[in-house]
Amino acid sequence: MIELDNVRKVYGDGTVAVDDVSLEVPEGETVTLVGPSGCGKTTTMTMVNRLTEITEGDVRIDGESIQDTDVIDLRRNIGYVIQEIGLFEHMTIAENISIVPDLRGWDEERKQERVEELLELIQLPQDVKTQYPANLSGGQRQRVGVARAMAAEPDIILMDEPFGALDPITRDELQDEFLDIQQKLDTTIMFVTHDIDEALKMGDRVAVLRDGELVQYDAPKDLLGSPKNEFVANFIGEDRVLKQLSAVTVREVMNAPQVGEGAGENPLSPDDSLKVALQRIFQQGDPLPVVEDGEVVGQVSEADIQAVTDRRTSEVLQ
Amino acid sequence: MYPPLTILGDTLTWLVENQQSVIEQTIQHLNVSLTSVGIALVLWVPLGLFLHEHDEFAPPVIGTAGMILTLPSLALLPLLIPIVGIGVAPAVVALVLYSALPMIRNTYTGLEEVDESMVRAGRGLGMTDRELLFKVKIPMALPVIFAGIRQAAVLVIGITTIAAFFGAGGLGESIFAGIRLDFPRQVLGATIVVSVIAIATDYGLLAVQRALPGGSEAT
Ligand SMILES: Nc1ncnc2c1ncn2[C@@H]1O[C@H](COP(=O)(O)OP(=O)(O)O)[C@@H](O)[C@H]1O
Ligand SMILES: [Mg+2]
Repeated sequence: MIELDNVRKVYGDGTVAVDDVSLEVPEGETVTLVGPSGCGKTTTMTMVNRLTEITEGDVRIDGESIQDTDVIDLRRNIGYVIQEIGLFEHMTIAENISIVPDLRGWDEERKQERVEELLELIQLPQDVKTQYPANLSGGQRQRVGVARAMAAEPDIILMDEPFGALDPITRDELQDEFLDIQQKLDTTIMFVTHDIDEALKMGDRVAVLRDGELVQYDAPKDLLGSPKNEFVANFIGEDRVLKQLSAVTVREVMNAPQVGEGAGENPLSPDDSLKVALQRIFQQGDPLPVVEDGEVVGQVSEADIQAVTDRRTSEVLQ
Repeated sequence: MYPPLTILGDTLTWLVENQQSVIEQTIQHLNVSLTSVGIALVLWVPLGLFLHEHDEFAPPVIGTAGMILTLPSLALLPLLIPIVGIGVAPAVVALVLYSALPMIRNTYTGLEEVDESMVRAGRGLGMTDRELLFKVKIPMALPVIFAGIRQAAVLVIGITTIAAFFGAGGLGESIFAGIRLDFPRQVLGATIVVSVIAIATDYGLLAVQRALPGGSEAT
C-alpha cells in the first residue's frame, strides 16, 4: 500500500507543483493519476521513489516512511516506467530488461530466464533479446519499458504515461494487454496519464488533479456517476453518459429473474457493460435475461439502465 | 624550379635510399606521439569526468585548455626547455598540453549530452551515481570521448614533427635538415610519411569509433 500524506512540492523556482495531496493506493490496486499537462502528475508520482524530494508531508509504503528507507533500495524495489521510455540505447533488449536484476546481483541464468518469461508476457519474439532499442518500433519499445519495470518483480510499479507516445490503435492494444498482465499479478500500480479515457479504463481508482491539487479520488464509475464539480465533469467530457455505460456492469443493475424465464438466444453476462446491454436491448428488445454458468441469474430492462444514468446525472447538477 | 614529376620521382628515390633512417625516425616519431597521447589520456579523460561531476569548474578549465592550444609550438617548446630539459621531455609535456582541449572538452560534453531520459530511467531504477556513470553515461558518451582522443592523436602526430627542432627526434629531423640543406626531396619525403601516419591514425581510430554503439553520429 502506498500512502501519500499531505504531500507538497515546491520547486526551487517557487513553483508549487503539488499542493497538500493525500491519497492511498491500496495493495494490489491500480490508481490512475489524471489531469491536464502541468497539473503535477509526474511530480506526485516521483515523490514516491524520491526522484523528487518532498517539500512537506510524507509518503509511506506499507506503513514505513520512504524517508527511512535507503533511497537506492527503495528504487530497486519499485518498478518505474518513465514518460520518455528512456531505454538504454547502448544495451541490448535483454540487458535493458534485466538491468534491475543485474543491479541486484542475480546470476546470469536467473536473469536469462526472467528475460524470456517477460518477453513472452509482453508478447515480443525471443529474438529481440540481442537487438538494440533503436531497431524496435515505438510500441515494442514501450513494451520493453514496461518489462524493464517489472523485471525484479517489484510490489509497486510507477508508470508515467507509459503508452503516451503511441498511435491510438497500438495504445488500445497495449492497454488491453497490460490489463491482462495486471490481472495475473498482485502489483500495486500508480499510473499517470493525461487521457481521461485511459485513466477510467486502467484504474481501479482515479485521482483527478488540477493545479497541484487533488480534486476527486474515486472508482471510475463513481467519478463518472458523480463528478465532484464542473472541472471534473468537463474533463470527463460530453460523452460522460456513454463512458458511464462502459464503466458499469450488468451485475450492478440487474433485477431478480422472472420465474420460469429461459436464457433466450443471446443472453447477457453479468460482467457485460451497460453499453453492451443497451446495444442488445436496441436490437432485441427488453427485458434481456442475464446468464451466468448456464443459469439465469437476472434480467435487465432499458428502464434499469436509464435509471442509473438519470440518478447520477442529477447528482452532479445540484 | 623542379617539374613536379621529377621531384616526385626524386622523393621516392630518397625514401628508398634512406629506408633505414626513415624507419628509425618513424619509430621515434610514433614513440613520442604515443607516449604523449597515452599520458594525456590518463590525465584528461578523468579530468573531463571530474568536470562533469563539478560543472562549475568546466568553463575555466576548458577555457584554459583552449588557450594552450593557441600557443605556437615553436614558442612553447623553448619555454619548456629550462624547466624539463632538452630532448623528448619538453616535447611530451607540450604534446600532452595540446591534447588537453580535445580530450577534456569531448569527455565533458559527451557526458553532459547523454540523453536525460536515460539518466532519469537509470536513477529511477535504482542505480547509484557510480553505476549510472559506468553503466550508462560513459558507454553512451564513449563515441564522443573517442572522437576527442582521435583529434588529439592526429594533432600530436603533426606537432611531434616540430618537436624534432628541439631534439625530440622523429621525422621532423629529416624535414628540418632538408630545409637547412635546401634538399626538397628529403623535406617532401619525410612530410609524406608524417601525413600518411596521421591519415592512417585518423581513419583507423575513426573505424574503431564507428564500431562503437552509437558511434556513427559522433564526429
Ligand atoms: N524541475 C522543475 N523545476 C521547476 N518546476 C518544475 C520542475 N518540474 C516540473 N515543474 C513544474 O511543476 C508543475 C508540475 O509538473 P509535472 O509534475 O511535470 O506535471 P505533469 O506531469 O502533470 O505534466 C509544472 O508547472 C511544471 O512546469
Ligand atoms: Mg508528466
